[in-house]
Amino acid sequence: MLWRGLENEPSLFVFSFKSMSVMSKDDSKMDSVKYGLLKLIDVSGFKVFDPVVRLCFREEPGKQVGEIVRYMVIPIIFVAFCIGAWAVIAPRHKTKAGRVPDPSQVLSALSVNHTLHVRENEKEADFNALDSRREDRIASVEVTLKEKETEEVELKKKLAEVEVACQAEIDQRLAPLNARLEKLRTSHKEAADARKSEIVTLSEKVVAETAAEDELTALMASDVKLKDEAKEKEKRVKELIEDVKSNPPKNLKRTQLAYNGLAIEIAHLKKRLDYLGKSNRGEKVAVAKADLAKKEEKLKAADEPAGLLAAAKSVVRSEEKVDRIASQSYPRGTTIWFQVWRSLFTVFIGFIMAALVAIPFGIMCGLNRVVMACLTPIISIFKPVSPVVWLLIFQIVVGAFFPNPETHPFFVMMSNIPWVSSLKVNPAMVYSACTVAMCAVWPALVNTALGVSSIDQDHLNVAKVLKLGLWQRLVKIVIPSSLPLVFAGLRISLGVGWMVLIAAEALSGSEGLGKYVWDQYQNGGSMSFANIIFACFVVGIIGFFLDRMMIILQRSVSFDDGAAVV
Amino acid sequence: MSEFAMEIDNVDVGFGPPSQRVEVLDKINLKVKPNEFVAIIGFSGSGKSTLMNLLAGIQPASTGGVFMDGQLVTEPGPERGILFQNYSLLPWLSVYGNIELAVKTVFPEMTAPERKEYIQGYIDMVSLTGSEWKKPSELSGGMRQRLSLARTLSMKPGVLLLDEPLSALDALTRANLQDEIIRIWEEDRRTVIMITNDVDEAVLMADRIVALTPGPKATLGKSFDVELERPRDRTTLNFNREFIELRNTVTKYMVGINEEAKALRTGANLPLPDLMPIDFLSVGNQPRKVVLEDEEPSSESTVTQDKPELVGVGVGNE
Amino acid sequence: MRVTNAMFIKPKCALFCAGTNCTCLFFKQPINENEKLHLTYMFCFALAAFNGRVTSNRKNASIINALVWGLRINAFRLLICFSLKSSEEPSILSAKSTLKKPFLFLLVLCVVLTGANLASGVEPVASPDDMPELELEKDSLKFGFIKLTDCAPLVIAKEKGFFDEEGLQVEVTPQPNWKQLLDNVINGELDGAHMLSGQPIAATIGFGTKAHIITAFTMDLNGNGITVSNDVWGKMVENDPSLDSPTPKHPITADSLQNVVQEKMDAGEKLQMGMVFPVSTHNYEIRYWLASAGIHPGMYTSEDIKGITDAQVELSVTPPPQMPSTLEAGIISGYCVGEPWNQQAVVKNIGVPVTTNYDIWKNNPEKVFGVTKAWADENPDTHVAVIKALIRAGKWLDETDASGKLVNREEACRILSQPNYVGADFEVIRNSMTGFFVFQKTDKREMPDFNVFFKYQCTYPWYSDGVWFLTQMRRWGQIPEAKPADWYATTAEEVYKPAIYLDAAKRLLAEGKIEQGDVPWDTDGYRPPTSDFIDGLMFDGKKPIEYLNSHAIGNKD
Repeated sequence: MLWRGLENEPSLFVFSFKSMSVMSKDDSKMDSVKYGLLKLIDVSGFKVFDPVVRLCFREEPGKQVGEIVRYMVIPIIFVAFCIGAWAVIAPRHKTKAGRVPDPSQVLSALSVNHTLHVRENEKEADFNALDSRREDRIASVEVTLKEKETEEVELKKKLAEVEVACQAEIDQRLAPLNARLEKLRTSHKEAADARKSEIVTLSEKVVAETAAEDELTALMASDVKLKDEAKEKEKRVKELIEDVKSNPPKNLKRTQLAYNGLAIEIAHLKKRLDYLGKSNRGEKVAVAKADLAKKEEKLKAADEPAGLLAAAKSVVRSEEKVDRIASQSYPRGTTIWFQVWRSLFTVFIGFIMAALVAIPFGIMCGLNRVVMACLTPIISIFKPVSPVVWLLIFQIVVGAFFPNPETHPFFVMMSNIPWVSSLKVNPAMVYSACTVAMCAVWPALVNTALGVSSIDQDHLNVAKVLKLGLWQRLVKIVIPSSLPLVFAGLRISLGVGWMVLIAAEALSGSEGLGKYVWDQYQNGGSMSFANIIFACFVVGIIGFFLDRMMIILQRSVSFDDGAAVV
Repeated sequence: MSEFAMEIDNVDVGFGPPSQRVEVLDKINLKVKPNEFVAIIGFSGSGKSTLMNLLAGIQPASTGGVFMDGQLVTEPGPERGILFQNYSLLPWLSVYGNIELAVKTVFPEMTAPERKEYIQGYIDMVSLTGSEWKKPSELSGGMRQRLSLARTLSMKPGVLLLDEPLSALDALTRANLQDEIIRIWEEDRRTVIMITNDVDEAVLMADRIVALTPGPKATLGKSFDVELERPRDRTTLNFNREFIELRNTVTKYMVGINEEAKALRTGANLPLPDLMPIDFLSVGNQPRKVVLEDEEPSSESTVTQDKPELVGVGVGNE
Repeated sequence: MRVTNAMFIKPKCALFCAGTNCTCLFFKQPINENEKLHLTYMFCFALAAFNGRVTSNRKNASIINALVWGLRINAFRLLICFSLKSSEEPSILSAKSTLKKPFLFLLVLCVVLTGANLASGVEPVASPDDMPELELEKDSLKFGFIKLTDCAPLVIAKEKGFFDEEGLQVEVTPQPNWKQLLDNVINGELDGAHMLSGQPIAATIGFGTKAHIITAFTMDLNGNGITVSNDVWGKMVENDPSLDSPTPKHPITADSLQNVVQEKMDAGEKLQMGMVFPVSTHNYEIRYWLASAGIHPGMYTSEDIKGITDAQVELSVTPPPQMPSTLEAGIISGYCVGEPWNQQAVVKNIGVPVTTNYDIWKNNPEKVFGVTKAWADENPDTHVAVIKALIRAGKWLDETDASGKLVNREEACRILSQPNYVGADFEVIRNSMTGFFVFQKTDKREMPDFNVFFKYQCTYPWYSDGVWFLTQMRRWGQIPEAKPADWYATTAEEVYKPAIYLDAAKRLLAEGKIEQGDVPWDTDGYRPPTSDFIDGLMFDGKKPIEYLNSHAIGNKD
């Protein structure tokens, strides 16, 4: 029904992907489910799945299979090839600072990070567990702990064995090298001594004037050269020795890793027991209450005025303490997923700030050449400034507004909004968001100005013919007409903002993915590099979905198909 | 009250700074009687759209003035409904929305149900019933122009200005719409000024045909009255001697003034191409569409040279 | 300081006079001015006998300390006058005096109390009930740290539940660099942080960001090392063949580096080395090490805030984690940094740690726990609670078994190797934290004192530590103008707050969490003079100018 009009004048039909996917020669039943799906795929920009849907509906299976092979299977093979190449090349590429992790390590970084998150969840649940739930948890944790401890004992034994074996192996490998080095050293020493005595005799001859002086210098020069050569040879052997030493057998590394993992898990279980035991909130409240009861008794027992006052005071204080403990929440350690949420929140705040500034100013610029002329120098000077500079500036500028963040009404307000409070809004977040906004504002501003100033003359003529007032013209013509470009600008802004945010967080120490990457870098552990690459994927994938989201928005406001180029 | 619905009085239009001034229109004089259907026929680039903008009030005259019912036209307004060559629809609004915007602005006093009925009436009039909620991008070219027509008519303009309304359409749709416009015009006659480059179209639709000489310094040439009886049926018209004669006369005249203009422009030092225009006289019995096209950059290099030197001058609708 | 003192002494004297008047009223005796004065002295003297109690009041502790000393002197003057039977002074003891009885009473009290104090030699131990309970002003805190093993006390206090036991919910978050950390403490984002010893001092005197930062807890001793690149090490070995051994003799001085420096300068360049922050211990240590061998590390001037004026070796700031990679890239040829970044160089085989700061200055103070003065004033009890937890963490870290082996370090390394703390590999952290230090792969030495978190009463905030840093700041021109000796003392007193530490320690002692000997109860805040430096110079915190002038290189006053 949508396309009936087109059938009249098929040749006039503007060819586009969107229409191609819907316009089929198959004039049989229009399957609404199918077209709904296709439309969804099209709007969200995942057009690679188009043939899959068609294939499911048996539409020209041959052609669809062809498409799938061309646009899905081949790319998948290509990506697989890239990963394969990575897996092959990575272990071979090492610097002294570390080695490039292979895909499996990055994958394990995902699981490690997720485990950390799960453990935090467990501890939080333990902290809040009460009564029978708490006892159940204690029982189960104790059982696992016991298992793990027996395991640990065995593994420790095994590790010791492996260490001995490896040491033996290393020694075995080192013995010939050491011998070679020793041999080289003695032979070099002998040669050097021989040359030295030769020089001595020659110099005596020179003194006695039976030999020329240049002969002596030549001999000296050759001596230096030979010495260097000898040193070079020794150095090579030394390097070999170093190499053996710094590359312990894989077996050892594996056992060590396994043991470390187990040790960490045991520590975690013990910590859990602590949170289920004396650090449990319920327990702490109980202790505080017992204390309060004791104080209350003392109050009753007190008979002289001074003591009574003191006792009353301490009762009040204890009551306060009970309340305070009861309202405590678990101090969660930061985990990757928390950081993802916080980064997303920050980028959206920054993005919204950017949009709120960019759109009105962009419209003003587009409408009025004087405004444009006024803003052009500002835009052109500040646009290329690096986010790092903005961050430093905002640290000072924004910091001045929050002399005491703890009690500042803004942050108090933020900590009262249910979901937001868990993200811990703080000044660092505010200035990260400001940096994002500052860098994201330009594409949106420029695009909005462009969108407004390049409105189709026809549309303006319509406004003229209808004699629309300024406000009407703005609302009815200018804004709707420039929306596609505005959204294209916003899309770029969001992309820029996301990129900037990571840098800003790394620098400002505002919790988020950027800080995660920076912390990993600072850790310098063996897993750090894998974690950084893992974070790189997380950032990339989130960036991808943000972009998709903006495409969907952009498409929903764009009236011509050409504007939303994927 | 003037006896003319529309009057162009000695108008010049030029663009650019004094040093590089390009005179587009020169001493245009036209008087249109009420309820008259006038077709202005001219070559592409001769300043047709400028003339139309002038009539609409979008383009001010350098000298002289345009009068509607004796009043000087200074700005565009709904009383002169203009039908643009490229529809000028607002792509973010539906069929209904496009008309509604116009109706709401021109008749703000209308109540909601009244307005709804009124708009629906115009949608029905241009046979767009059933497509009320489609966006212009979902419509074919013909449907878009119909919508544009409905929107223009819904403003109840005193004068209807048609700016090559059908030139972007294919031949069949074009014929269809010509009939439609004539039908609607006959229902509710009003003053129409149409610009076109199609002699057939002009002869078929208009009461009077006025030629526009090629630019620069285009001006209005000879005027031909069309005295064919209405309603004119295109199927029989092709065998109508009067029709054929008139068409040939107009075409000849047009080709003639074009040659003249070329000679004027190129001077003597450029050899004229050894090409003859299509022999229009031989078309006799065959119905043929004649379109005056002198700018077809892909055809011949010599023709390219003949392109009017108006490139880059800011006429929006060209 | 003097002005402040005077301001405070007056009201306090008035208070004591009022006290005396009360005493007189108690004895229902008329009183004349002269008698009142004497009685006041006596009253003060009695009060001075309680000075332990007085100094334990952390508010205005230093002022009261000074005051009490003043009173003691006056009281002695009175006693001397009394013994000399000077005609005009002690009329109070004449038979006519109506105040004879109260005076004698107070006198006896003084003697008894002083005697008791002298006999026990220490403060009387208060029972927990005697102490006013801590009223936490704030129970949810956020502390910052830099990823170095010496943040251990903070991390351990959290992970081992010491903060919890004080009723504190603490979050510890890594900070990207020292500057940011300090800024976050100043702007209130953090309640407190693991800081370089020089940071609170520099902030207080206004070198860099100006803010009044105080510290009541020294986190550790030693823990830094100087690493040079393999290349430089090779040349050092060439210059000094005695180094060419798997286990060369320590301490290694910078003497063998002289030729390398000269060679570089002949080639028109300067040897580049890294340190972590302009006011960090590392900066002063590497300068000390270089200067002790006659190599000029450069001066700070009011224009040259990079500190490379006249330098033979140019030092630049590099954040600790970047040290190994910067060294590997050849941008610097050596660095001074905390752990695990020296061990990292060994593991990655890119450099050789030549010396540790233990050799440069035996048992030098390294990191402190810093908070802003404003925060400390607002949250005095919370501050004490935090210090209590930190002291316990330090004690836990340095716990040894009967044979003197550190028993908890392995567990501490496990905790520190978690990615949200130091995050380096467990093996790397263990290298230096468990009492060993690996200089080369062949040279693993026992260094039980490489990281000291509690021994040697090290957590006490010594004024003399502050004075040492001030002398170094002056020596290298970070303090551009000469200062009198007492400026050093008063500045150190502005930053270091032993009163708070002692309050916390006293509570812990009462709770039985620490022992009597763990804390220097009766010190004046100055460590005994020491010459445990690589160049053997004598440092006496009370004589900063002499110390400053004893150095060959650097500013002299």
